[in-house]
Amino acid sequence: MTPTLLGRWQTRLLLLATIGAFVTSPFALGYLRPEASFSFFWVLGYVAIFGIAWDIVYDYLQKFRWDRDWPGVLQLLAGIWEAAFLAVILKIFHLPGIPQETSLFWFALHYSLVWLSVYISAQVIMRILFLRWRFHGGQWL
Amino acid sequence: MNPDSRQIQLNWVDPTTKEQQKLRLKLPIAIGRELSKMPSTIHGDRVSRLVLESTQVSRFHALILFEQGQLVVTNQSQSGTFINGISVNRGVLNHGDQLQMGNYAIAVTFVASSLETDSVISFHPDTDLPEPEVQRKTVTATSDFPPAIFQSQQISVRDLYATNLPVYQIDYVAIGAGLGSFIWVDFLRIFGVKVRQIVAIGLEKQPYARYQRLCLNSQIPLHERLRSNSDSCPDNIWGWPSYAIREAWRDFYKGKINSALQYLWQVFAEPTLAETYTPRAGNVFDSIDREAKRIGWHQIFRYGRVRAIRKTDDERYAIAYSCSSSNHRDRAIVLARYVHLATGYPAIQFLPDLQKYREKTQDFKSVVNAYEQHEHVYKHLERYGGTVLIRGRGIVASRIVQRIYEVRQRNRNIFVLHLMRSPKSQGNKFDAAQRQVENHYEFQPFNWPKACWGGELRAILENASPQQRQQFLKDWGGTTTAARSDWRRIVQEGISQGWYQITFGEVERVEREQQNTITYIKGKDLQGQIKLQADFIIDATGLEAKAKSNPLLDDLVTHYNLPLNHLGRLAVAHDFEITEMRSGKGRMYAAGAITLGGPYAAVDSFLGLQYAALRSADSLAAVRAPGMHRLNCFCSFSQWCKWITNQSPV
Repeated sequence: MTPTLLGRWQTRLLLLATIGAFVTSPFALGYLRPEASFSFFWVLGYVAIFGIAWDIVYDYLQKFRWDRDWPGVLQLLAGIWEAAFLAVILKIFHLPGIPQETSLFWFALHYSLVWLSVYISAQVIMRILFLRWRFHGGQWL
Repeated sequence: MNPDSRQIQLNWVDPTTKEQQKLRLKLPIAIGRELSKMPSTIHGDRVSRLVLESTQVSRFHALILFEQGQLVVTNQSQSGTFINGISVNRGVLNHGDQLQMGNYAIAVTFVASSLETDSVISFHPDTDLPEPEVQRKTVTATSDFPPAIFQSQQISVRDLYATNLPVYQIDYVAIGAGLGSFIWVDFLRIFGVKVRQIVAIGLEKQPYARYQRLCLNSQIPLHERLRSNSDSCPDNIWGWPSYAIREAWRDFYKGKINSALQYLWQVFAEPTLAETYTPRAGNVFDSIDREAKRIGWHQIFRYGRVRAIRKTDDERYAIAYSCSSSNHRDRAIVLARYVHLATGYPAIQFLPDLQKYREKTQDFKSVVNAYEQHEHVYKHLERYGGTVLIRGRGIVASRIVQRIYEVRQRNRNIFVLHLMRSPKSQGNKFDAAQRQVENHYEFQPFNWPKACWGGELRAILENASPQQRQQFLKDWGGTTTAARSDWRRIVQEGISQGWYQITFGEVERVEREQQNTITYIKGKDLQGQIKLQADFIIDATGLEAKAKSNPLLDDLVTHYNLPLNHLGRLAVAHDFEITEMRSGKGRMYAAGAITLGGPYAAVDSFLGLQYAALRSADSLAAVRAPGMHRLNCFCSFSQWCKWITNQSPV
């Protein structure tokens, strides 16, 4: 991938709002756990909001790469970093909408599934639905 | 140096086009990026100002003066001026020295070289084979075709019919019928145009015929890998499933799980943690065959050579083409409203000193171009051993070194001299990034930085002024090869074992002496001269794409006074339209190497051709060209389903 900053934002928001929400639903509705909890949607929201800031950092780092690309492996590292950051913030500070006693296991499971499905959708669905997406650095609008 | 002449000759290779530049300038000489920043006079003498368009060159970079009987260069730039690789603030220049500024390496000569001709190898107009003996101009021989009415700017359709030539009417014409045409036609078909609305005129039925021939000649057999990305699929406009996924799937099916996983890991981690995945040539050609069948290419293709194109009085274009074979003469006119030009590289670049050698000796066997059929070189080496001199250091040179390495496994008595014009110790720089260099080879996965296709660099170039574009293309371009681990190992091994040697220098001339070629390289002073003896010389410097080298384009440019860009290629708009050729509702587009220097860098690649085709298809859909519908999400998905199930698009 060779995303631009605008492309990163547009793809992140679209995929979290669609695929991300789809993957989050079974967690939030309690299909996978004993009790339902809307806090998973809050997690999704924070990933989106913090991500807008992180994308600026990634875009800056990308300029140090000769090819100005952002391979899958860096997307994975960025994903792990964002998860760790969010988990620390969650545990140390109180974030509205997410109880501080949230289980890290469920957080990690939910986050990983969202990341994986968003990554795969960006590789497959975005290309098939949006013909111009890959030529515009990930912008679909 | 003769002080009376006060002139020196500067030779260098343009970092973007890789073409040789030659300039004889009067002293004093100022070199820099901006004309206005360089002094126009020094001590009352008029200064010759040389502008080098690159951000790696300072606005005023260096000054060359004649002082006390010698030539003195003074550095004016923070990034430094180098003589033969050594940084100097003030240094004496000698005959044969290499002057380096940013990404330019300039050879300084006191005695002007006699090589002035622009030399190329043309493709034969009928067979499309590289023909060293064909002179370019002979193909434009005058005859009764195209008819006399083609001398006017605009042709009346009534006059056309009066010529008694067969006249066909169609909506879309693709000229060239190579990969550029095929990809454009693929987009038209997927956007809704029917087979009967399109004609593609060219010499060979298979759209990849010339490309495949050049691949085979330059040592990429079918099982070898092209320098192309996994998702640059000329058979699939979405790039999914990519070639890596398809190859992984096939291998997985055959039980080769390790290699399947390796391809997937490559596309996930490339180029940072894994070597860049590249598809096998054979797989790409097979996939094009499948797509050609699906879109009805064989009904669309028409054999012929286009001789001239003119605007008509009914807002269309008249295309005169001949389809004569050895036993009959056949000519016809096609009338169309939408025309696409993708004629590819008009010729193969050939180093002038080698061209001279061939003209003088008529020896076409010992001195060859890498894109010509030269299998005899390897056969000879395998049987008798010998020395090969390679010129050029791009991807083709890497493949030739690989091939020789393979032959060398059967005969150890083979040696390689790799002659480069100048050492390369530092890679090109752009902003905060720099290209990697190893053993004087500059590495890059593809021929442009990746973001030129669809990333930030694409947008930067599109929005840049023509002046800025020149600079960007120089900064991002240049001769590079892929950092393939096998190639790096071969070079390392060759250097340490002594059978592969890199030499630097400016070639003066090439002679034939007792069954050998002798390459004379300019020495440091006038007396000194280095002689390199070799059984074969392989020129791996590249292809040539100036619009003027193609008779059809030359005619079009001259007749309609079309603007050319700074690289001598066709000037195109963002959607690849040649706007000066607009004929009312009629539109003419171009794609491929003939458009380099415009809004897009990676024009001569699979993905670049797809980008160009997408831009022109979108603009055709916007003007409601017949049958064209802009592909929205739903249509795109339904067309992709047709692709995966191998059904015709319309």
